[in-house]
Formats: sequence, C-alpha cells, structure tokens
Amino acid sequence: MPQIAVEQLSKVFKVPEREGGFIASMGSLFRRRYREVRAVADVSFGVEAGEIVGFLGPNGAGKTTTLKMLSGLLFPTGGKAEVLGHTPWKRESAYLRRISMLMGQRSQLQWDLPAMDSFQVHGAIYDIPKPQFQQTLDELIELLDISSVLKKQVRTLSLGERMKCEICVSLLHRPDVLFLDEPTIGVDIEMQARIRRFIGEYNARYGATIILTSHYMADVTALCKRIVVIDHGKLLFDGSLAELSTRMAPFKVIKIDLDRPVDDYAFAALGDVMSCDDQKVVLRVPRKAASTATAKLLNDLPILDLTIEDPPIEDVIARVFGTRESDSAGDGKASMAEATTRRVK
Amino acid sequence: MSGFPRAFAAMLRVNIANMIQYRAEILLWSVWGIVNPTVLYVMWASAAGGSDDGTVAGLDRNGVATYYFSIMIVGHVTAAWDVYEMSYLVRKGSLSPQLLRPILPIWNSITGNLAYKITTMMFVLPMWAVFFFIVRPHFSTQPWQFGLAAVALVLGAVLNYMMCYTVALIAFWATKLDAVGEIYFGLCMMLGGRVAPIAGLPPVVSELAAVLPFQWMFAFPAELLAGIVTTPQEAMAGLGMQAAWVALTIILFNVVWRAAIRRYSAVSG
Repeated sequence: MPQIAVEQLSKVFKVPEREGGFIASMGSLFRRRYREVRAVADVSFGVEAGEIVGFLGPNGAGKTTTLKMLSGLLFPTGGKAEVLGHTPWKRESAYLRRISMLMGQRSQLQWDLPAMDSFQVHGAIYDIPKPQFQQTLDELIELLDISSVLKKQVRTLSLGERMKCEICVSLLHRPDVLFLDEPTIGVDIEMQARIRRFIGEYNARYGATIILTSHYMADVTALCKRIVVIDHGKLLFDGSLAELSTRMAPFKVIKIDLDRPVDDYAFAALGDVMSCDDQKVVLRVPRKAASTATAKLLNDLPILDLTIEDPPIEDVIARVFGTRESDSAGDGKASMAEATTRRVK
Repeated sequence: MSGFPRAFAAMLRVNIANMIQYRAEILLWSVWGIVNPTVLYVMWASAAGGSDDGTVAGLDRNGVATYYFSIMIVGHVTAAWDVYEMSYLVRKGSLSPQLLRPILPIWNSITGNLAYKITTMMFVLPMWAVFFFIVRPHFSTQPWQFGLAAVALVLGAVLNYMMCYTVALIAFWATKLDAVGEIYFGLCMMLGGRVAPIAGLPPVVSELAAVLPFQWMFAFPAELLAGIVTTPQEAMAGLGMQAAWVALTIILFNVVWRAAIRRYSAVSG
C-alpha cells in the first residue's frame, strides 16, 4: 500500500476579478465578479515509502496547492487522499507530528531571535525527547554546516543560511513524509547543490518519503527517480525521467568536435542541425536513428570527439508544456500530453 | 516537563524573548494603556466635582479615582488584539507555518498575549504607582473582594481574549479586519464600562450592556476590585455570568475555527 495515496483530488478557488481602472474599481463596489479557478483537477497518484518524487509544472500549475492539501493546510473541493493512513485535512495531531512541509517562501523561524530559539520551541511543540532532540540537532547542524549561524538573529542571515535553518527546523522531529516546496529558491548554485545533497542524505538515512517541487531541474534530476508532471491542475505524466524524455522528446543530441570545418549539408541528411560553430556541431537525430547516424558520422567525417546525450530535461519539460499550450489553442496536432495522460490512466 | 505544558512554556519563553527585542515598543504600548484611563478619570472626576451632589454615576471624585485605577489594571490584564493581527496572518499566508504544527495556532497567540503582559509589567507597575500617589484612590475593598476580583480578572481576561480571537476569525471570510477591530474596541470601551461606569450610561445603553459580554470583561472585575460590588451574592452572580460567557465563547470559537480552516486558502505560499 502506498504511503501517499491520492485519488481524484480537486481544488477549486473562487477568486474576485475585475478590469483595471477607476471605473471598474467603482463598479466592483456594488457588483463583485468572481471566477472559479480549478487549481487541481482530478489528480491521482501514489507514492511508496522512501520514494523521492519530483513534482514539475509551470507557475500556477497546481503543484503547491496539491502539496498544501496533502499537508492538511487546504481542504479539497473533491477527491480523496491518504497519507500515512491519515486524511490530511482532518489535521490530526498524530498526522502533523509525522510530516513536515518546507515552503521556500514562507518562514517557520522566529525572525527576531537566533535560530536556536526556534529549534528549541519546535522540539517542545513536537515533544521530542531531549536526548533525541539533541542528537538530531547535532546531526542536522553537522550535515547542513550551520554551527556558525545558530547564535545570529534570523533576520540577519543570508538567504542560503536561512534556508538551511528552515530545513533544520523542518526535520528536527524526523518526519516520515516531507513536502518540499521550492527548497532551493533564491539561493546560489553552490548552496543549491549542498541542499540537494542534504535532502538525498536525509532520505537515505531515515527512509523518508519526499515530494519535491522545484523550478530548478538540477534539483529534480539529482534527487528524483520519478517525476509527476502537472499543468493547469491536471496530471500530464507520472513516471521516470528517462521515460519522460523518451516519450516527450524522441530524439538524441549528438555533439561533435571536428578536426576541420565541414559543410553543413554533410549533416542535413542525418538530423536537425541545432548549432554549427566552426568545428563544433550539435545535431538532433531521432532516437531510433541515433546509432546509424553515429556510425555514418564516424565513417564519413573527420571526427575528433563525439558524444550522444539525452536532450536536456529543461527542453523536455518545455516541450511538454509547449505541446499543451498548442493543444489548448486547438491546432489539432497529435497531443503528447494526451498520450502521456492516457499512459497515467 | 513534557507534552502540552512543555510546548506552552517554550512558546511563552520565546514570545517573551521576542518582546524583549523591542523594549521601546512595549514601553510605548504601556504608556498607551495608562493614557486612556487617565484621560477618562480626569474627565469624570471633573464632572463629579462640578455636579450638584459631587457625584457622577454614583461615584464621588475619590470613587471615580478608585474605579479608574481599577480599570487601568483590568485594561492591562485583559488586553487582547488578535482582531488586528489575524487579517494580516491570513492575508499574507503567514498562518500556514503555524497550521502545520501539531498545536492550534491560538496557543501561540495566547502565549504572545501573556508574554506582552509579563514583559510590560516592568513599565506599568511604576506608572500605576505614580498614578496611585498622584490621584490617591481610596480602596474600601475587603479581602474577600480582592480574592474574588483576582478570579474575575482572570475570567475577564479569558473572556475578552476568546471573544477577540473568535471575532478575528472573520478574517478567513473578510480578509481585511481593521474596521472590525475598531468596532470591537469601541464596543469594549462603551459597553465594557471603560468610557463611563456602567451606572453612568444612558438607560438604553446600559440595557444593551446587560445582555452583552463586555461588562463582564472589564466593568465587573473593576467594580469588584474597587469595592463597588458589595455583597458576596452579587459577586458570585457576576462570576457565574463570566463563567457562562467564557464557556459560550469557547464553544463559539470551536465552531467558527472548524469552519474557518475549511475556508483557509493559504495564499502566498
């Protein structure tokens, strides 16, 4: 039985809307217009214990709303969910003690006090036995390398330091399920890598189940074997990164270093020339034709070096959402999104 | 210590630490708490002095001084302000981290409220002493009245707090509550016996005050403290009314809270 089981989960928000300008503003005084926004639409999926699942989608796709429902912050409009055997929005204390949600844009720390004060309050609220609290805290301080910032007021910390303290406070009670909403937002590349490494280590050490949303593909590729793609509230794909790549972008990227310049037409028959910069060429060829194209390139051309890669995940995701946009525009193209949705169903 | 007492004590400690960060702010709030009853004391003492029989609402100048000194203490002990803060927490999504904890957010607010009252003691006690020595209120209050006044003070504080917090939950529907806060504060002042002793209110207003909880928050504990409530029967009846209102507001809070969190839209992350 999955540790997180979501069935036909939906959330509809009623939001006020009006045209810009003074007259519209006065009009809304007497007559307010509302629009229903279907933030999450019949989403179903399951997550096994110890899995790390990446939740991908553009802004407003419904990722955070889904996580908020699973953490008990929001009541759904429809559907069911069970996490660790609990219905999240019943907000039972026994459930809240076993989960944690880290929101990159929302602080759990006491702004005017040193982070250590927030850690101690957290320990008391979750009633963590003191020896266990001290042991976990020592581990987290070491893993996150935050010993030097513990005595500083939170508001004086850098964003990266604060994020690490946010992660620390979220994990002090050793949650079994962790919802991470943009945990690396706004921090520099080195810090992103450290946070990523830490999340992986936490998962390995405690076997925690993790759902992660991030706009940084590096977070997802480094941590998640499985991804769930969501857009306009609907689930578009649920599977491995490699599967998504195969399905959404059925081509390989061949990067070539040449010994001497060669005319473009030499590549045209093999695939699309993505770039051709003097003696460096990047080709996109259909997956099935990759081996034939490679053999031909090696036979016919003065190759110094050649690599075959999957397309960057950013490109794959861009294709998923690009396809969806064009679907909604009604251009009648065969829909990859539909294909993947069928697979999910 | 473990369980809820441990959590409560830790939240209280951290809220006190937070308050201490802003000493100038809590000093100014303490002054604000003194200014209001002082102005009203001056007004009613003048009115008593200028009246034919030297009294107003049945109190002479000395009685007015005793009443407003009591109101000063009651006002501080019963202070509650969640109706001003809740809309910010809801509108900005700042309530979300509190909702994720296995303890109701109201407990954080209660410990914040207590922290304010504890930390401001170092400022209000000297101010009360100065007021006392200048105005010279005369307490004819008996020990049993002081004892029951202490209970009434606690019940009044709980009642105002619970009512204020429950009203604050309107923020889950109305988003901005500044005006509601002002209305609530106005009702507390007028119907709670703070602008004028209840006996000095126009009949229609005092009849309205009789069926609402505000006088049980402020006027009753102050009258008990000032020795205006003279019989144990009256005192016990008043405490009974306070207890009934406290029970009712706790029930009301539970009902409204359940509806409120269903409405919560957890905006802005």
